[in-house]
Amino acid sequence: MRVEGEREFAAPRQTVWEVLNDPSRLAKTMPGVQSFDVQDERHWRANLKIPLGPGGLKMSVDFEKGEERELEYAELHAKGNGVGAIMNMDTAFHLSDAGSGTRMKWEADVHILGPIASMGQRVIQPIVNQQVSSVLAALDAQVQEASAAEA
Amino acid sequence: MTETTVAPPKPVVAEPDKPQKGWAGQNVPRKEDKRLLQGAGVFFDDVKRHGMGYVHFVRSPYAHARIRSVDVSKALELDGVYGTLTGDEVAILTDPFFELSVPPGADMKDYALAVGKARFVGEPVAAVVAATRDLARDAAELVEVDYDPLPPLVDARVAEDGGAPILHEEAGSNVVWEGTFDWGDFEGAVAEADHVVKIKELHFDRFSSTPLECSGCLVEYNRGTGQWTMYCNHQMPGVGAIWMAPAMRVGIDKLRFVTQDIGGGFGNKICLHPYFVACCLLARKLNRAVQWTEWRTDQHTANAHGNERWFQEIEVPVNADGTMLGFKVKAVDDCGAFPRYEPLGCIIWAQVTPGCYRWRNIRVDFTQVVTNKSPVSPNRGYSRMQHLWLTERIIDIVAAELGLDPVQVRKQNYVKHEEFPYETPNGCIYDSGDYARCLDIALDLIGYPSLEEKRVDAESRGKLLGVGIGSTLDSGTNNFGQSMILNPELQFSGNNEVATVKLDIFGEIVVTLGTVPQGQGHETTAAQVVADILGCSPDDVHVRAGHDTYWNSHAGFSGTYASQFAVTGLGAVKGATDMLAGEMKKLASVVLGCTPDDIELAGGMARMKANPEVALPFMALGAILNANNAGLPQDLDVTLNCRYVYRPPFEKPDLERKYGNLTLTYASQVHACVVEVDPDTGVYELVDYAAVDDCGNRIHPQIVEGQVHGATAQAIGAATHETFPYDEDGNLLTPNFYDYHVPHALDMPPLKTGFIESESPFTPLGAKGMGEGGGAGIHAVCAALQDALRTRGSPIVTDSCNPYHRVWSLLQDPAASRAGIEISSR
Repeated sequence: MRVEGEREFAAPRQTVWEVLNDPSRLAKTMPGVQSFDVQDERHWRANLKIPLGPGGLKMSVDFEKGEERELEYAELHAKGNGVGAIMNMDTAFHLSDAGSGTRMKWEADVHILGPIASMGQRVIQPIVNQQVSSVLAALDAQVQEASAAEA
Repeated sequence: MTETTVAPPKPVVAEPDKPQKGWAGQNVPRKEDKRLLQGAGVFFDDVKRHGMGYVHFVRSPYAHARIRSVDVSKALELDGVYGTLTGDEVAILTDPFFELSVPPGADMKDYALAVGKARFVGEPVAAVVAATRDLARDAAELVEVDYDPLPPLVDARVAEDGGAPILHEEAGSNVVWEGTFDWGDFEGAVAEADHVVKIKELHFDRFSSTPLECSGCLVEYNRGTGQWTMYCNHQMPGVGAIWMAPAMRVGIDKLRFVTQDIGGGFGNKICLHPYFVACCLLARKLNRAVQWTEWRTDQHTANAHGNERWFQEIEVPVNADGTMLGFKVKAVDDCGAFPRYEPLGCIIWAQVTPGCYRWRNIRVDFTQVVTNKSPVSPNRGYSRMQHLWLTERIIDIVAAELGLDPVQVRKQNYVKHEEFPYETPNGCIYDSGDYARCLDIALDLIGYPSLEEKRVDAESRGKLLGVGIGSTLDSGTNNFGQSMILNPELQFSGNNEVATVKLDIFGEIVVTLGTVPQGQGHETTAAQVVADILGCSPDDVHVRAGHDTYWNSHAGFSGTYASQFAVTGLGAVKGATDMLAGEMKKLASVVLGCTPDDIELAGGMARMKANPEVALPFMALGAILNANNAGLPQDLDVTLNCRYVYRPPFEKPDLERKYGNLTLTYASQVHACVVEVDPDTGVYELVDYAAVDDCGNRIHPQIVEGQVHGATAQAIGAATHETFPYDEDGNLLTPNFYDYHVPHALDMPPLKTGFIESESPFTPLGAKGMGEGGGAGIHAVCAALQDALRTRGSPIVTDSCNPYHRVWSLLQDPAASRAGIEISSR
């Protein structure tokens, strides 16, 4: 499934770019993170608990940074494994100026596989939407926090 | 909630005064029912062995992926795990299953487990055996498979496109088989016709009839003899062994199939050989009995679906008076990831090429392709159901577009009663029938004359009422020679079935069958036939339950499939019993000092016709031959243990013309359905329903009635909710009963049944196979929906399955469905 959107941040591009490239801040944007390990500057691993079904779906997700053009464009590839589910997600971020702030266009190609994908079709789309809103809200908070720190 | 009613106690009968000759034709109590109703049946999962292991398959979450590695080490570390099996081992220990197709299909490699590549979600990639079923399942989660995902192919229509992913690189193509069937003179018919109606595309949905019991087996390996015994629910062991033995590099004698009770088949249990081979390898590797019991979700996801088929570029030449001259169609069949039983579906439809109609100019371009979906296997009505749905759709769409009455068009174009036996354009011989009469009975049962009043009444309640007809054929008793039309190198033709009947020491009459019953009442009907010949009661006849290779009552085509027991199975029973009756008379004549012609069998005795007081009870005959035979003539050729192989009278087809008799019998079905649709939501209800069958002489009318009820329920499921849709990634979206709705009692309409009996001139008992007549119901519902929506822009029903949302879409945008219709007139 493909999801995309646009969001503006009240911070310069440099700040947004730094947040997107800081694993420790990015980890705080992800709901249900139970642990987050930085393997090197381009590879991270997170253990997540996604609110799907009783007890939640535990998933180990490997992140790999892809192509990037500083301050303009970045790709992030994620591959997750959990009991009964595999998730592959390719995300791209496009940054541009919006007045004194930053406009971020993003798109994500999400593939969920395994029994969860078959049985949970009715609930997956709303959960993805909910997770995306939650990530974006958290990202906004991180950008504001970074701006405040810079000030 | 709809009211469910059983058929009237006496359904509409066409021959009420037909004389009753014996046990055959009577509703004797079913022999099987006592043990089944008391919970004393024995299904494969009831069979256990000391120290056995439970098998769980690790299945691919990807529709299409290369397998980089399989690591079972963590699973093996778990206490209670006995062992594992991987695709790499399978590739060393076995050869690929043989393929029925010519290339490219012949070059597709199919193993018991995925080797190198996974080609559908749910494909077994590895297997784990453990002390409990749950432990095996948990351990399977510890098997680490490294996949390299590949783009999936989920739409058969683009399988031949340049950019389509290739599933089987060794074949170099996604095409399994393709060919053109051309009978009559289609161009001539178009030139002669007053109208030519074109239909761009119709789609027969993927679904599968659902057995109560999932698949499985318990396998034991005997190291001393090198033989495997499979307690299982395979419904076609003869062909199963032909697939398995060469792949396992052993003789067929090393494979013993044993079944007793089976909880439904419908064809799903024909293509179990990959699972069974995996279990056999595990039983040998671990020197331990192993049992695999399929989970319901796995049954839906990865067992066997019915063939999905697209019908494209349909052209139908028609005369102004409604005479249909023929049709042309391009059929694209989706067989899933592996051909397995295919490409037989590419020819099976030809058994019923013209459907019930007299049109004689028919051209079919048929292509079958693989996709990243679960493989198919024959499903009740196999391949004919799809084709007959097409012929019925053509009739109704053409009738609607040209303003013809669908009832009159049918009657005008049906093969006439007086034309039987009727040779179809491709050389099949329809044995007997009276389709117009069946249609009249069906229409009478739903009160067709008062339909307009019912329509007005429905409208007053805000509903749209529609009526639809489905008229189909259940072709039974295959001539396997039709496979040679697909691949001339194949050495299959004709058909056969076996039975043995013996008289034992204490007078027991014991029957063994080669068939593999799954609820069809074989024990009962076999006993009726035996009792009629031996002059005793069915209660005196003991029919062994199930199938066992050790009984030596089987042949190459043994099994229960393709609507043939009443012909092949009972033909074999009749043949063996006739032999036994002859031997009993011969033995009695020796003892009583007369000729065999002086003896008759009646009342459990062999007695002299001239003086019935001079008689030997069956017990005496059994005892004399088996235990007290001193003094009998040395040349007395009597064993009282008779084996008979029934072979239907078939010839090999003409391969050049794709012409010949492909099946022996043609039971017919006419279903009529009345629906009421809510125009705001698309929700609909079947408010009346009639099913009329003609299967020749009925051995046990109640069993026939049960088959009709079951087939109708499956048809209604297929027409309303049962479908296997896949998303773009190749995930099945209806993998269990949460999403896949099988009709239950409350979903069933008031079901009325009727019948006529057109005796088959070609079969030993005048009976026809009749288990697969549900296709009529699928079309009846489609036609009723289209009729109901005719005042709302006349949308065309183009799919075989129409859940409420699809009907709602037709209501919202009727023009979209009509875009594919064109009419050219002279």
